[in-house]
Amino acid sequence: MTGTIARKEILANLLSYKFYVVILLAAVLVATSFFIMTRDYKERLADYSLIRPKPGEPIAVNPPNPLSIFSKGLDEAMARSFEVGPTGITVRAGQKSGNTVFAFFPTPDFLYIVRVVLSLVALLFGFDQVSREKEGGTLRLILANPASRGTVLLGKWLGNFVSLAVPFLLVTALGIAVISLDPAVRFSADQVLRLALILVLTLIYIAFFLSLGILVSTLTRQASSSLVILLFIWALLVFVLPNLGTLVARQMVDVPSVRALSEKRQQVWTREVLLRIRGVGDWASHVKTISAENDALEADYRVKFDRLVALSKNINRISPVASFIYAATEIAGTGIGEEGAFKSEVVRYKNAVLGKRLASPDAGVADYPAFRYSCRPLDRVLAGGALFDAAWLAVCGILFFGLSYFVFVRYDVR
Amino acid sequence: MADQKPILKADDLSMRYEDGVLALDHLNLEVHPGEVYCLLGANGAGKTTTINLFLNFIPPTTGTCFINGIDVTKDPLEAKKYIAFVSENVMLYGNFTARQNLDFFAKLGGKTALAKDDYYRVMRRVSLQEKAFDQRVKNFSKGMRQKLGIAIAVIKDAPGILLDEPTSGLDPKAATEFLEIMAELKNEGKAILMSTHDIFRAKEIGDRVGIMREGRLVMERTREELQHEDLNKIYIDYMKSAEQAT
Repeated sequence: MTGTIARKEILANLLSYKFYVVILLAAVLVATSFFIMTRDYKERLADYSLIRPKPGEPIAVNPPNPLSIFSKGLDEAMARSFEVGPTGITVRAGQKSGNTVFAFFPTPDFLYIVRVVLSLVALLFGFDQVSREKEGGTLRLILANPASRGTVLLGKWLGNFVSLAVPFLLVTALGIAVISLDPAVRFSADQVLRLALILVLTLIYIAFFLSLGILVSTLTRQASSSLVILLFIWALLVFVLPNLGTLVARQMVDVPSVRALSEKRQQVWTREVLLRIRGVGDWASHVKTISAENDALEADYRVKFDRLVALSKNINRISPVASFIYAATEIAGTGIGEEGAFKSEVVRYKNAVLGKRLASPDAGVADYPAFRYSCRPLDRVLAGGALFDAAWLAVCGILFFGLSYFVFVRYDVR
Repeated sequence: MADQKPILKADDLSMRYEDGVLALDHLNLEVHPGEVYCLLGANGAGKTTTINLFLNFIPPTTGTCFINGIDVTKDPLEAKKYIAFVSENVMLYGNFTARQNLDFFAKLGGKTALAKDDYYRVMRRVSLQEKAFDQRVKNFSKGMRQKLGIAIAVIKDAPGILLDEPTSGLDPKAATEFLEIMAELKNEGKAILMSTHDIFRAKEIGDRVGIMREGRLVMERTREELQHEDLNKIYIDYMKSAEQAT
């Protein structure tokens, strides 16, 4: 019975004008996104080949992540050049997007398309599922048959999910296949697995919004009312709530500004240089002190910053949209956690370089170790929060579907 | 007929809505195989409420509906296997063809192994024009949609049929065709409960006619009894007495 209703929904979608408009829109957006982001990745890759340190140079530079085509996240921040000087790290420009339009508009990566457009599309598929049948009079006819309300609702959900997910996956798979033909873009087996997980996460995200659409549809008598309510909720979930956490957390956690941190570093440096000029201690001990105090400042800043980020993330998780973004960016290796791990690795590298420099001051440039960074393994990423975010998204979707069932069994079909 | 087990039975059925309105007041009726029972009454008399209770769209305040001996409230899904329903204004899926609509509702009714020809046969039986079989329903007239509604009821092949003002808004020819099909179904042994405003057609097709007023069945006559009485006059008298009472 569920299959009969699901097939009816698929057929209804295939026969509707709305379906083709929506699928065409999704196809155009995904194709455009892949084209723009692949170009962006290739430009940053070309930049990397220019700024890549020569063997032995104490510079930490990370190549751009191919998965940034789909989820750019903090990849640009991680792809800067971190030069280890006598007393610390100097951050230089890295592989910057050549596309200055990105500064005016959000980066049109795959996650953005999914987050904003696909969520809206899923709502458009779900908003009138019950109210339209009620308005059209077909709900009475359906329920005059031996089909339980749960079966009807599940069939509708499944049919619309398939109608939405299959064309979307086909369009995305085709886009990925085209990208893979580009010799400049190479995905490792691990990255292919991560990409597959992002697609699974995207399906959970679509399912969440479809469930939300159906829930509101069961709460209203008219499809038009359902649409207005859903547009309001959508704006709240996609734009307002994911930014609210940051604002609230800033009021609760006091984090010094980057400028204040920089001034403190400068004070440490000036103090140690003056002490050296006065003849107190040798240069090596001052360098050690500057480095240690800078690290302590950085660590203190990092602790406060991490607290701010953790609080912001937790508040933002009120909207499952934020959970989707956190999970997807972490899986892609462009998330907040990955950036933290990367920065810790840069600090470790700096300490290794400084240690070597102090141990043998006459060492040549070629003697410094090369910086190497690999994304955290997938199991660590999942255990570090991505799995929780994905589960939270799924739970919210199930919860909304459960609620819509609860409402629908009491729905007045007369 | 009366010695057979009723397909449709309302046993002391009452329905009071949340706003306090008593829509149905201790209704008792039975519809047996091969019988057409017509419920007459003004708007708000409780005809549609009765049908909604049989379909388990609303739970009764007191009393029980039985379909083929099954308590509708206790086992609605089992009960609905034995009932087909045609509403006042059959609304189907406009983008689907007549056959696609029929196929969907047939499957929903449990008929999963039907071939294209089975659908065509049923649509011919309800006098739907051949050219309409594979046309989208959104272009259908009300009469055509009602015919397709009956086709849906026919293909389900349930022993009981509920009709909620099915001839309302139909032109005389379409209404006559509709009643001819009902007569055929009755002859096949279906138990038909039809709510209607149409006194003339109720007398023509009904084996029994009941008049409802303010949720109560105030009169019931058999076809034989009505041969010697003027149903139109009886109905109007009941309505007038109701007006005087208020």
